[in-house]
Amino acid sequence: MNGASARRFVASIWPPVLVLVAGMLLLELYVRWANTPIYLVPRPSKVVSTLVLERGYLLAALWSTTKAAVVGFASSAVFGVAIALVLASSVWVRRAFSPYTVLFQTVPIIAIAPMLSIWFAPGLKAVAACAFIVSVFPVIANTLAGLISTDLALVDLFRLYGAGSWATMRKLRFPSSLPSLFTGLRVAAGLTVIGTVVAEFLVGELGEAQGLGVVIVSASHNGHSDRVFAAVLLASALGLAMLGIVNLVGRLVLANWYAPARD
Amino acid sequence: MTDQTWTRYGISVLLAIQLASVGCKKDKAADAPPTGGSSSAKQLSLTLDWVPEPEFGGFYAARESGAFGTHGLDVTIKPRGQGETWKLVAQGVTDFATTSSDQVLVAREQGADVVAIFAVYQTSPQGIMVHKARGFTRIDDVFTNPGTLEAEDASWLKFLRARFPSAAVQLTSNSPGIATFLAKSDLSKQCFITSEPVQALAAGSDPQTFLIADAGFNPYTTVVIARGEMVRKDPETIKNMILSLREGWRSYLDDPPVANAVMGKLNREMDASTFAEVARVQHDLIETADTRKTALGEMTTERWQTLAKQLVDVGVITKAPPPTECFVSLDRLGH
Repeated sequence: MNGASARRFVASIWPPVLVLVAGMLLLELYVRWANTPIYLVPRPSKVVSTLVLERGYLLAALWSTTKAAVVGFASSAVFGVAIALVLASSVWVRRAFSPYTVLFQTVPIIAIAPMLSIWFAPGLKAVAACAFIVSVFPVIANTLAGLISTDLALVDLFRLYGAGSWATMRKLRFPSSLPSLFTGLRVAAGLTVIGTVVAEFLVGELGEAQGLGVVIVSASHNGHSDRVFAAVLLASALGLAMLGIVNLVGRLVLANWYAPARD
Repeated sequence: MTDQTWTRYGISVLLAIQLASVGCKKDKAADAPPTGGSSSAKQLSLTLDWVPEPEFGGFYAARESGAFGTHGLDVTIKPRGQGETWKLVAQGVTDFATTSSDQVLVAREQGADVVAIFAVYQTSPQGIMVHKARGFTRIDDVFTNPGTLEAEDASWLKFLRARFPSAAVQLTSNSPGIATFLAKSDLSKQCFITSEPVQALAAGSDPQTFLIADAGFNPYTTVVIARGEMVRKDPETIKNMILSLREGWRSYLDDPPVANAVMGKLNREMDASTFAEVARVQHDLIETADTRKTALGEMTTERWQTLAKQLVDVGVITKAPPPTECFVSLDRLGH
């Protein structure tokens, strides 16, 4: 990282950090001033101390959640793009199957959790499957939108030069869909974490391999709101990290030819 | 679609997932207006921690029989769904709510001044349901044999896990319904003896239930709680509530069909025969040798002490409170 890019990195990091610190400070002051019961809102300082004191327990849960979220997200990326490519291959296929991809968007996880628990073993596989179901639709829809909205003049040019449909897909349609594809992946990154946490308290493991979803429900049941919020913070951090990685990869892939990616 | 559109889409999906995640709570609006109350009756609300089922039969019986009205109360029963109902009581959102005695101890440790006034289940209906074909003879077998146990990480599970630290069974979150139990022969599942085993039997399965109470962990369950402030400042209302509940539960135990019919209209998931069967199964958990000597719903200092010690031992609470802070009885209210 050279000096200029380091400065840009710092310039992009400090505003959200400042907002976070100021927000936590204000909340701390309010909770102390209003004497809010701890079971409703814990003091941010208490949440931070819980994060430090229980780091072993919480980080183990974060690791379990991370594994399931990464598997779910990777599945969404691979299958989402593959499904979009199939749907983009012909108008007939798109008309016949597109409506059914909406099922991924609308299916309530709680309704299918028992089935997932039966089809996959309860634990990582079932949780990752839930995360996949929750997050795959934006990848499909965005990638498909990118694939079918290629500049018609360029499509005509490819046809003029005798390029076949495979060559047009590989050299024109797919590259020009990448900005949309990465938009879908950005949406999917956050949804994956939410899907994983929800799935964990429906079909996740308990004990050493338990994830943040189990920690949140268990701590909530026992009135430990500080632990609940500590786990929520870690889940948010995981979502941010995944979003950051997607942004970074998108920037590396697109920066040479897609102006918005340079911002 | 633009980024902004997708951001909106993302937010809406997040909200949908959040709603789905609380879907199991079966949140419902308040039920029909109470009957038997006069215009001068004291208006009160009782929030249930699940949908109308026989576990709450005595509350509906108290309403239908006019027991609330006889004691000058006009109680609106609000089915809500699972969750920490003690927070609603502590914050004054509702006057009374149902919970379990271990949750009362958790609440008090968190500074919530909630007090138990009536315990429906003297023997906790919490259990573990296994397939009879496995030949288990005691609850220990669930933990010492390979297989899966679906359960919430609640106090009773912490108690049993402490007892079987090197359990062979794999613990997983409790999936909704009984589909997984029906599908897998090596799967055990947490249950209320009044609920899942009845459904499993009706579905043609072979459930066998071990009660957690038999393993030595027996919190009062479906406990009615009130704010400590109300107990101290308005003991007359608390007395009247306890008397109403006693009469309501007596009425329900003797004649379940009337209240079952009312609850059946509010809960379409349970048919009339299941209502009747559950009311039969739960009878001896509610009316015990102890309550025959005292009264329905009564609690003892010794049992609160035992439970508090068990919760301290498994780390759910850090310090056992004086038991007399946790519950009241008519004697202590000067009845």
